[in-house]
Amino acid sequence: MSQPRSSYAIGTGLFIVLGFAALAYLATQTTSVANVHQGASYTVDARFANIGQLKERAPVKIAGVRVGQVQSITLLPGQEVADVRLTIDQRYDRIPADSVATIFTSGLLGDQYVGIVYGSAKAVVAPGGTLARTKPAQQLEEMLGKFFGAGGVADNLGGSYLVTARFTNVGTLSPGAPVKMAGVAIGSVQSVVADPQKLDARVTLAIDKRYNAIPDDSAAAVFTSGLIGTQYVAIQPGGSPDALKDGDEMVLTQSAMQLEDLIGKFLVNGSPADKKPAAADKSPDASAGKP
Amino acid sequence: MSAQPARGGNVVLQALTQIGACGLFLLTLLGAIPRSLRYFRETLRQLWFVGAMSLTIIMVCGLFVGMVLMLQLYHVLSIFGGTSASGMVVALSVYRELGPVVTALLFAGRAGTSITAEIGLMRATDQISAMEMMAVDPIAYVATPRFLAGLIAMPLLCCVFCALAVFGGHLVGVTWLGIDNGTFWSNMTAVVDLRTDIVNGVLLKSLAFGAVVTLIAVYQGFATEATSEGVAYATTRTVVASSIAILALDFVLTAFLM
Repeated sequence: MSQPRSSYAIGTGLFIVLGFAALAYLATQTTSVANVHQGASYTVDARFANIGQLKERAPVKIAGVRVGQVQSITLLPGQEVADVRLTIDQRYDRIPADSVATIFTSGLLGDQYVGIVYGSAKAVVAPGGTLARTKPAQQLEEMLGKFFGAGGVADNLGGSYLVTARFTNVGTLSPGAPVKMAGVAIGSVQSVVADPQKLDARVTLAIDKRYNAIPDDSAAAVFTSGLIGTQYVAIQPGGSPDALKDGDEMVLTQSAMQLEDLIGKFLVNGSPADKKPAAADKSPDASAGKP
Repeated sequence: MSAQPARGGNVVLQALTQIGACGLFLLTLLGAIPRSLRYFRETLRQLWFVGAMSLTIIMVCGLFVGMVLMLQLYHVLSIFGGTSASGMVVALSVYRELGPVVTALLFAGRAGTSITAEIGLMRATDQISAMEMMAVDPIAYVATPRFLAGLIAMPLLCCVFCALAVFGGHLVGVTWLGIDNGTFWSNMTAVVDLRTDIVNGVLLKSLAFGAVVTLIAVYQGFATEATSEGVAYATTRTVVASSIAILALDFVLTAFLM
């Protein structure tokens, strides 16, 4: 308290300088202040059929580099169209008029942003103008639908033949799931039933007739598409000269990996002592369709 | 103004009286700002006392809060393989909650108590009365400079605290536990927002806490009974009331600002 005047004046000055230095450090080194656009910018409208989870101030990117942000999102009156106003840095004012604005998701679970993919037109989109070509947000549900719809497409083409495969565990495989070879859907699962005698799961696969040269020693495995996708049957071709025929049984099978078991092994290094009962008896009524 | 011991069911009434008197005191303080501009050097001296002298404890505590937060987060996040997000979580939790709140609690303990004790002793030794005799307004000379100093010092202290906490997190996370330096910073800068985290979180909250803590400290000093026992009670009440006010206000501010 009884410091000489000059001493506390210097101390206070140092304190204030240190405080503001800390503030400057926080504001510049640990925030996205560099991303907040500085200087001149212009706005461009883009109309989307579906914006998904896009939010205001979401980034606008060209070739993955941030060039601006979403200024506002409004619903066009009387239409089922979302008008998204983009604020773009003045330095990037040569965007071709036929560029496509697309709503992307960063990563699997990340936030959504607007990506602009350049067109080839000589004309440049004017400030305040509209990007005519847009691609709406990909809804995960639709994507999954397309993905697994492919299995259904295959068995619409000119009939299919049936083979069976036995698994000790089919995981969550259900009728209608795709059968894939080399990643391409060639058929679908027709039924999944539990065998009362052998105590395993008997899966009937409907494979498109076009694929009639699959070796009869091929292996069938239950895989999961991606981290959170649903399960499908993958056929890994063998080397036998004889092909699978209608009604054959595939001998080599690989059961479904249970994510719980895997994670358990991975994280806790514990042994999956208590095996979960197979979900094979999930749809007993599907057996009505078997030959 | 002195607080009488609560009798019977007068506790609620007593609390209301305290809050009301405190609010009126705030108006008096604010009204005295123009007059206290003459005592600018006194404000500067108080800023040195409540601000610069609190730096050591704030810096040490900030460093350790950041370090222990990173240590805890690392062990939890390593279960999910998400250790690279720990820098970002340290920054967010410090900027939004821990920084302002812990700084304000430390500030109440370090600066608030000494303000109360000093003013209480001034009253006990009749220095306040002496000032009035000399036609020096004690509010403008004693109360307002301390209030203004607390108002200025708290945001600055909070910034120092947050910077040291991030530094401490970096020290433990990157230097000791081996999180990648680049992902540590890029994850942080990708998420921390200047407006919601730095301005609303660090600056606005700490400004409000600084106002509340110094108001309570100065008020308790003036409201104390002019005895040594009264000063002791007033100092205790400053810490208790400040802590409750800080935590309750933190909830309200978070609800409004987020």
